[in-house]
Amino acid sequence: MSWEQLPIISLLSVIFWLCGIFFAFKGKRPGTAVILSAIGTAIFLVFIISMWISLGRPPMRTMGETRLWYSLFLSIIGILLYARFKYHWLLAFSILMAVVFIGVNIFKPEIHDRAIMPALQSAWFVPHVIVYMMAYALLGANVVFVLYLWFRPKKHVITPQELGLCDTLIRIGWAFLTLGMVMGALWAKQAWGDYWSWDPKETWAAATWFSYLLYLHLRQRVKDTDVLFAVSIFSFLLLQMCWWGINYLPSAQGMSVHTY
Amino acid sequence: MSTSWGYKKAFGRCACIFLAGIALQFCLGDLNNAFLHYPWSVIAALFFAYALYLIYYLSDKFPGLRKLYDHYACVSALAAMVIMTIFFGSIAQNDEATGFFSKIGFTRMTSSWPFNLILLYFTATLGLGVINDLAHIKHKKWVPVISHLCVFVILTAGIFGSADKKFIELTATLNKPTSTGVVEGTGESYNLPFEMTLKKFTIEEYPPRLRVINMQDRNTSRDFLSIEQAGLSKSFGDWDVKVDQFMLNAMPDSLGFRELTHVGSAPAALVTATNRVTKQSSQGWITSGSFIFEPERLQLTPTEMVSMSPSIPKHYQSDVHIVDAKGKEKDLAIVVNSPAQIDSWQIYQYSYDTERGKYSTISIFECIHDGWYSIVQVALWLLLLVGVMMFFTAGRRRKEDKK
Repeated sequence: MSWEQLPIISLLSVIFWLCGIFFAFKGKRPGTAVILSAIGTAIFLVFIISMWISLGRPPMRTMGETRLWYSLFLSIIGILLYARFKYHWLLAFSILMAVVFIGVNIFKPEIHDRAIMPALQSAWFVPHVIVYMMAYALLGANVVFVLYLWFRPKKHVITPQELGLCDTLIRIGWAFLTLGMVMGALWAKQAWGDYWSWDPKETWAAATWFSYLLYLHLRQRVKDTDVLFAVSIFSFLLLQMCWWGINYLPSAQGMSVHTY
Repeated sequence: MSTSWGYKKAFGRCACIFLAGIALQFCLGDLNNAFLHYPWSVIAALFFAYALYLIYYLSDKFPGLRKLYDHYACVSALAAMVIMTIFFGSIAQNDEATGFFSKIGFTRMTSSWPFNLILLYFTATLGLGVINDLAHIKHKKWVPVISHLCVFVILTAGIFGSADKKFIELTATLNKPTSTGVVEGTGESYNLPFEMTLKKFTIEEYPPRLRVINMQDRNTSRDFLSIEQAGLSKSFGDWDVKVDQFMLNAMPDSLGFRELTHVGSAPAALVTATNRVTKQSSQGWITSGSFIFEPERLQLTPTEMVSMSPSIPKHYQSDVHIVDAKGKEKDLAIVVNSPAQIDSWQIYQYSYDTERGKYSTISIFECIHDGWYSIVQVALWLLLLVGVMMFFTAGRRRKEDKK
């Protein structure tokens, strides 16, 4: 399967996701909502796997290819959170974010070739990218939840469980960020001879990692939810800078080995 | 002490360290850590660890010292690291830069006093936190304790061990033993403790690519045709381009090209391009050329032409024979992502003669000596394990918080 089939496959996935969201909002048959949404995600996963086979390399080399994984993981996280906590709006927003990123891919098509430079032919390539995309998706789901809580209706009082869910998403997301960073360092040592070179991508990855770590340490003492929400949204903005923002940052032009 | 006052003092401390860094940068110029060579690097690291232990030990007698590793210190040090990384990430890093930012060291992150002092302060705060964790291990959760310890070891090794690394570029010519490289950056000659002979150098390449170039705006088509065999075709705008003949190894002759596997031969294709609008048709040979003959292109219009891009390497490998300092001999294959290890040296496949491409008779290696390699590897693998554990314990933490 190739990039040309993305619109039709995405349409199929979106139909199933919309049906899932419909049942989730009706609230009577959560099981059906989960199954329908999961079918939509499974269709999208099949597309990614068949692209992997047809390209003869993991579809993780270009920005558009990483967006595919982001959409996939966002939908998975939305479904899992709905299945566990029954937050139907979290399912809807996660799917909406996934669809936005699919839309970007459809309206900004890329050339996908089979060539992959020797340094990328490493056992670390796939886990490094997947773990990072998983972290981005978890922290994306967190920011959706944080924005909902921050701009909640006045009568809604934030419960400890809701704050706990924010913490859990950030803890797991940060664990994945750490895994991605360590895998990247081990890979860099194997391919380029040094663990860390402070290239623009690495510097922004460090900023993101420190910022989420700051949230986790602030959380132990700070009770003011506005401060916590502000730090988590700020951290998410740093994450966006690290993922794609540096491609537009004048100071980073032509200075990173992480160009895709 | 009120919470806000605690934060103010801790952030004030970070600001003072930053300003001290700026002052040092103005007075002394870039931070030069060249003096931190073995054994001084190890002595400095041990002294640093001992100083942290001493501060922790004395903090019972002088409670003011606790401010170096309490919650406020931890949060302010983390915030300072966030600010510094954003700062240096937003400014182009260039050793040759001039101007105000360069004068205060902001264009050379790794040798900037403000950045290194803040990093050292963060590492010290973290180190004191680790000692505190270990002193109260019975009341602590081991996952955060180990993660703190791993990050501390990695940062300490990075700060005190960076000058201990040697980067030597070694150029090996086919069948000629060599042991002399050059130090990267300075270009000084360096005798390596082993002798290397390049026995064979091979490159596997991706199929050549056919593209249409617009000479007017110097634009090359984003799309391309990967030429794997004759008979393939592709449309580029109004042009349909078809490959009539294809030879992976060819040499030019009076009739065009003939198939010949020889040093300097290159891929060549006979292509026909037809314009769907004007019905104009052109046929001709195209080749990416090699170090013995020029590239050939097919002119379509005064501004457009069909060209073949130079082949992209898929995989390259050097088969080498190495004799180490003890006279032990080894035959090794060195490829990208799979360096060879000779005692405490690691040898990386770095480059080759790109002009000769697959006919390169030299291979360029980067030989790296990293005395802190083992300790950082252990810390990173442990942190990887801790990352997995954090993933599994994140949910459990939530249940405990609920209770």
